[in-house]
Amino acid sequence: MSAGSIPSGKVRDPGYPTKSENYLTNSKGILSWIFTLDHKRIGVMYLIGVVLAFAVAGLLAMVIRLHLFQPDGAVFSGPKANDYYNQVFTLHGAIMVFLFIIPSIPAALGNFLVPVMLGAKDVAFPRLNLCSFYLWVAGAIFFISALCASQLDTGWTFYTPYSTSSNSSVILATSGAFILGFSSIFTGLNFIVTINTMRPPGMSWFRMPLFLWATYATSIIQVLATPVLGITLLLLIAERVMHIGIFDPEFNGDPVTFQHFFWFYSHPAVYIMILPAFGIISDLISVHSHKRIFGYRFIAYSSIAIALLGFLVWGHHMFTSGMGPLTTIIFSALTFTVSVPSAIKVFNWLATMYKGSISLTTPMCFAIAFIFLFTIGGLTGLHLGTLATDLHLHDTYFVVAHFHYVMVGGTLVAFLGGVFHWWPKMFGKMYSEWGGRIAALIIFLGFNLTFLPQFVLGSRGMPRRYATYDPEFAYLHQMSTIGALLLGAGLLVALVVLLHSLFRGKRAPANPWGGATLEWNCTSPPPFYNFERAPIVGDPYDFTTIEWDGENERYVTVDPEREIAPEEKPETEPAHAQSDH
Amino acid sequence: MPVILNQPWTLLADKTEDYAWFPEAASTFAAENDWLYGVITIVCVIFFIPIAFSLFYFAVRYRKPKGGKAESNTAHNTPLELAWSIGPSFFLVGMFILGAKAYLNHRTVPDGARDIKVQSSSWNWSFDYGGGTVHPELHIVVEEPTKLSMRSTDVIHSLFVPAFRAKKDIVPGRYNYMWFEPTVASRKVSDEELAAAKKKMKDLGEENWNFDELDFTPDGYTYYDLYCTEYCGLNHSEMQTVVVVHETQEDLDAWIKKYSMRGENEDPADYGRKLYSRRGCSGCHSLDGSKRVGPSFQEVFGNKRPLTDGDVVVADENYVRESILYPKAKVSAGYQPVMPSYKGQLTEDDIHSLVEFLKEVSEYSPAEVVAGDPESSNEEKPAEGKNATDTEAK
Amino acid sequence: MSTIEAGPETAHNADGHDHDHPSFLAHHFDTPEQQFDSGKLGIWLFLVTEILFFSGMFCAYAIFRMLRPDVFEGCSQFLNTKLGAINTGVLLFSSLTMAWAVRCSQVEDNKGLVGMLSATLSCAMIFLGVKAIEYSHKWEMGLLPAGLFVYDPANPHPPGQPNYLGYICAPFALILVGVVIWLIYSIVTANKFQVAIAKPLTVVCLCFFVGVGLGTVLESGGSESHVGEDHAGDTHAATDEGHDHADGESHDTGEEIAGVMVGPSGDPLLIVDNDLDVKDESAVRQRLATDATNSGLQSEIEARQRQSSVAGTSIVTEDSEIEGAIEKVENEVLTARQAGVFFSIYYCMTGIHAIHILAGIGVLVWLLVRAVRHDFNRQYFGPVDYVGLYWHLVDLIWIYLFPLLYLIR
Repeated sequence: MSAGSIPSGKVRDPGYPTKSENYLTNSKGILSWIFTLDHKRIGVMYLIGVVLAFAVAGLLAMVIRLHLFQPDGAVFSGPKANDYYNQVFTLHGAIMVFLFIIPSIPAALGNFLVPVMLGAKDVAFPRLNLCSFYLWVAGAIFFISALCASQLDTGWTFYTPYSTSSNSSVILATSGAFILGFSSIFTGLNFIVTINTMRPPGMSWFRMPLFLWATYATSIIQVLATPVLGITLLLLIAERVMHIGIFDPEFNGDPVTFQHFFWFYSHPAVYIMILPAFGIISDLISVHSHKRIFGYRFIAYSSIAIALLGFLVWGHHMFTSGMGPLTTIIFSALTFTVSVPSAIKVFNWLATMYKGSISLTTPMCFAIAFIFLFTIGGLTGLHLGTLATDLHLHDTYFVVAHFHYVMVGGTLVAFLGGVFHWWPKMFGKMYSEWGGRIAALIIFLGFNLTFLPQFVLGSRGMPRRYATYDPEFAYLHQMSTIGALLLGAGLLVALVVLLHSLFRGKRAPANPWGGATLEWNCTSPPPFYNFERAPIVGDPYDFTTIEWDGENERYVTVDPEREIAPEEKPETEPAHAQSDH
Repeated sequence: MPVILNQPWTLLADKTEDYAWFPEAASTFAAENDWLYGVITIVCVIFFIPIAFSLFYFAVRYRKPKGGKAESNTAHNTPLELAWSIGPSFFLVGMFILGAKAYLNHRTVPDGARDIKVQSSSWNWSFDYGGGTVHPELHIVVEEPTKLSMRSTDVIHSLFVPAFRAKKDIVPGRYNYMWFEPTVASRKVSDEELAAAKKKMKDLGEENWNFDELDFTPDGYTYYDLYCTEYCGLNHSEMQTVVVVHETQEDLDAWIKKYSMRGENEDPADYGRKLYSRRGCSGCHSLDGSKRVGPSFQEVFGNKRPLTDGDVVVADENYVRESILYPKAKVSAGYQPVMPSYKGQLTEDDIHSLVEFLKEVSEYSPAEVVAGDPESSNEEKPAEGKNATDTEAK
Repeated sequence: MSTIEAGPETAHNADGHDHDHPSFLAHHFDTPEQQFDSGKLGIWLFLVTEILFFSGMFCAYAIFRMLRPDVFEGCSQFLNTKLGAINTGVLLFSSLTMAWAVRCSQVEDNKGLVGMLSATLSCAMIFLGVKAIEYSHKWEMGLLPAGLFVYDPANPHPPGQPNYLGYICAPFALILVGVVIWLIYSIVTANKFQVAIAKPLTVVCLCFFVGVGLGTVLESGGSESHVGEDHAGDTHAATDEGHDHADGESHDTGEEIAGVMVGPSGDPLLIVDNDLDVKDESAVRQRLATDATNSGLQSEIEARQRQSSVAGTSIVTEDSEIEGAIEKVENEVLTARQAGVFFSIYYCMTGIHAIHILAGIGVLVWLLVRAVRHDFNRQYFGPVDYVGLYWHLVDLIWIYLFPLLYLIR
């Protein structure tokens, strides 16, 4: 391995991978990708998949916004206009949730990063990993066929009895969601086992990067909550096929039971979506501030706390559906408790930036945008958690704005930040910094213009899922639509910047940002075996030994003047493994 | 802050009243809700402004060229962290208590509240004022607690009156209740204005009242919007109606009387047409031959009807009457037995009026026995007397 | 697949110190212990998801039992406790053989391992055979989920039903034939490895039909103990009896249905009910039915009474008040709305359990092949252990299902 020119002192830098080491090029042919067991390639395939899903669902979102430009609907007309609108928002929601947000960070970035960050060669079950990718593909195909078979118009929540009586491809879509659930379970299971058993010597729980903590917490939710979704969807399918009478009031069932079952999964699923984003932001803020993360343990524990508390608050989706007053009040109280760990994180991120050495790189711009947007999303959650105000705001645009601030302003922005942060590592190319920053700015402005007016719309009583609306809401809807176009443009710029880098980008150094976690200790892109030998596990947030090498435009680790500790060559080989195979 | 929020929101444009943050406050819940909303918003702003400020300030202030070292590397500060973990909790407890108290008020129906039965079906509302008077508009009396006993005949709906800040889901298979006490009565517009509006509507050729353009009902009252907020399928966004708050009980009684029975000199067929739109027939039966949930009225009366059991009957008065009272007895071929029975809900005179109405709209020629072609629903043919309910929601 | 394998292997060569991996140790693990621990943690997590998966249905069960306890009590009478009990026993025994198989793999007793795996598989097949009898009888009687529920107490046994048992057995028969042909072929070609696999598999497939036979015998046995006490235990005699008295019902299973119906009437409480509910019109039928040989009529009265107790609950009337629109519904539909829900839950729970048994059979066959191949040793017995854990869980779920559905009355 060649190292670049050395500025001063004892420099550690893995240099660049050879073509036969680079995981992207070490084996060729389409089959080497289709049947790969390499977690990095699976991660890249996931990345392509979720971006495609996002593109589809994003275009559907544009259709929704354009339709709402006029009170009577601007895009669709004629007697089936409402029908088309309902199908479009259903598919937008379902694809975004099941195909994009849930797998985006854990499956795409997580698959690439978890073993590398951990210092392992691969996830614990590589075949299972590939299997979950293909389950994802199968689920996606089911969804696309629901799109082609058209007419799915139940909303992504599949509420009964509408979903059991609606004359549309509910079975196809729920089968898709069922399959995707298993994909999600297997991914989570894989990560839990990997983090538990594959840590190299020296990687103690509290030396793990916070992204791993967040992934671990997410995986717990995936494993514990998704099976309940599985059985709920299975019962829904059974209800449609043979009217089992559990959810359908016509056969003595209770539709609210479905809502309980559904939200028992889907509320924790909200944390499946946002927790990995917390992990990304924790790492981004720390690396680009070149400062130790503030309150590591608080952040780590708050991830776990959110994961566990997230299981107790599903009832707040049903404040108006007629639960008993006591149940409702208890759910409201529990809902407030969940906001505390989220607040802790925001304060810790700010404290990390304080007195740091901040580089306003593209990922940092996204991280700052995240904190701003997520704070708004989190704070407006208080209006919805408070019972009396929720009675007014429930199922209005206020809710739409709130969860878009959390899901898009939170998860999507963090996902973009993460992609820009790890892009050099994944593909070995640097992108245009200015292009990235401009994309971040446009996305930030466009997003706020889209969703801030919706808070006002909701407060004024505009119900959600309306294909047409009263003319008094028109101005705000038009602002929102213009914002959506701006947001779309920003996302397009981001995509162009990234794609451009693939062909014209400069070769990326091993450590372009000055990160101290293990993934920056291997080449960009990493070799297919990740690490030659079990890496030296240091403090993931100790930036004191990382120096900027301006000549080669890279960061290098400068080891202090001391003897290398004996664990440089750890005795990881057990006695029985000495025999040849 | 609550006061500010209630003020017109003038940032954006000239039509100030269009930019109020809240809809009109017209019930006892509104003041409390808006106040609480304001309190929460203030707390949010108190937290948000320092966060946003320090976020951008730090980003600028501590920006350094690459290779710069952080001025501090403090790993943690437990007292500080505990402070910002526990500190905000007090605000949360406060919000929770205020919210829960106000919520219990929403849930506790006061004794002696006027009870109105609400039936929702896709995509119609019907409010039962007792004595067989059912109307798609909600009419209540100012400063009188009103309880709604709601049920749904098909899927979940949700009744939401923004001006009252009140909302409740209507779940099939159970009764849900809600209540509110309106504080601001509807204004009655002058007769001239009403007459002018009626003329205008007629001139425009619009069969139905255009609620988008006019801020009063065909009876001349200003109104509050009432929305369905639980997604219920195709025309969810058109499942809207209005709430009219009367000044006095007498005024309401007069209104009820107007709609409770056929006028003395009113033609039964005309009254049947009203019943058709008021009692929800229009949700399932078209007048233009298009096939909905049920057969179109265009092809019913006087025609031969094939039944699901293979028989064929001629739809005469008795058949129509039986179908209204015992809808599952003889089901037309090609349709599901989903129609609810109207036994006890319609008087004999009502049924008579409906039969007369059917005679009027049906085409008699025996060639019309074929079931309606689904394609024909696409034809935008504004059949005479197309129901008011569908489009009365704007 | 070769490309994938190529990756890790070159890695080992490049590292120069990794080629000492034993063949069973995957490239990304350092030690067999690490591999075993990972697998164990993985399977435990998987079992957690399985429990949560079933917990959804247990919740549904709890909710509806709480709402309509009388429906559940009335309907569980339709389930044959004997068949449930024998299935419980079979599954418990299979758990024992599975645990034994794990032990065999740990001590490298390959013969024992193959034997124990085959025993476990055979038990699974017997279980499915008995289940086939249970399901086919209920389908013939129209005891189906709410939407398809067509059970008519006046005619519990409508003629012209398809032969459901035949349909269930057909795929198993096909597999049996296939395995036997394979066995003969491998014997002829003297492929020892294939013979070693095909032989136990033939036994396993036969066991399905043992289960079917066992179920049939038990059903008839049930009817004899209550209806035809003066008859010997000969199944054929009992079936003939059914033909004589079942009012022209022409298929073989007539007697077995009677067994389902009459079996529970051994409960003295129910007999008292029966006496109380006697109506004048049906007195003649009642008297006829007291003739122990007239099992058809007896079962009909039994079913009628069950039906009326199901349909006549107070909850029905309440509901029909609430659902004003549906109050004109006929009695049969009311029954579907009540009893149908019980059978919905019954089919969902036992059906998904049966699917788990099928999945278990799949992995056990895979283990069997590997065991014949001598894949397992003292250091590498993980797969047997994991499948064992899975099998115990499936067993455990049945142990909860059995009392919840069959026993609680």
